[in-house]
Amino acid sequence: MTYVALAYGFIWVAVFVYVALVGRRVARIDAEIEDLRQRLKS
Amino acid sequence: MLFPMSSARLSSARFQAGIAATLVGFLLVPLLVANAPLEKTMGIVQKIFYFHVPCAWLLMLSTFVCAGGSLAYLFAGSESGDRLALCSAELGVLFGLCVMVTGPLWARAAWGVFWTWDVRLTSSLLLWLMLIAYGLARRYGGTGGRRLAAAMALFAAADVPLVYVSVNLWRGLHPNTKTVSSLAPGMRLPFFVSLVIFSALWGVLLALRMRVERGQARLVELAIEIEDAEGKSS
Repeated sequence: MTYVALAYGFIWVAVFVYVALVGRRVARIDAEIEDLRQRLKS
Repeated sequence: MLFPMSSARLSSARFQAGIAATLVGFLLVPLLVANAPLEKTMGIVQKIFYFHVPCAWLLMLSTFVCAGGSLAYLFAGSESGDRLALCSAELGVLFGLCVMVTGPLWARAAWGVFWTWDVRLTSSLLLWLMLIAYGLARRYGGTGGRRLAAAMALFAAADVPLVYVSVNLWRGLHPNTKTVSSLAPGMRLPFFVSLVIFSALWGVLLALRMRVERGQARLVELAIEIEDAEGKSS
């Protein structure tokens, strides 16, 4: 049972970490795009 | 909001629903697997199969998609193909890592060792390393890095059929390709549900990762527009 829990737990952690990292990048890029749009307008 | 994604597109109902469905699916998979019948020889450790095989399938799918995008980039100059190749290669590395962790956990219980140089294990490891090399070539390969990486992706795709048939051509320790078709009826539903949910997860992750690439391309466009505007005004 330990190995089964470890296997699925690892997949969960790996996917969650990946989504969190990509989500942070998306948020940063969105902020930069918004900033550049404002500069272009002004 | 599940993750800090601020754009209107990312917070679209469809995308949020996709993430939510995937998370619900992930919650359901262990329940389904827990209720699946016990395999007589290996016992409970066989249940790793329900996660390991979908991850291996996604490693192969990612490699094919990466190769397809790379072909489009190499022969038609498609930038979107190149972006697709990069994103799918990254997912290939992610799911390959899951294969490389879950496989040895199963092997330790079934064979008594975490790793053996069985042809399936070795060819899968090589495939995973090729995807890592793809990423390294893009990052550190200089001006020709993207083309070099694209060529490597084609090479990696050629390894996929070898990985798949290796267990039939060279009899090693790893179970062969008939394992899925010979599953007991009670094991088929949790296996295929798991396969579908993992594939849906792959689709959601690919869409999310592609948004990063498209966002970066948009940033470059905006920076050029600002330079042009500043040049005209000065």
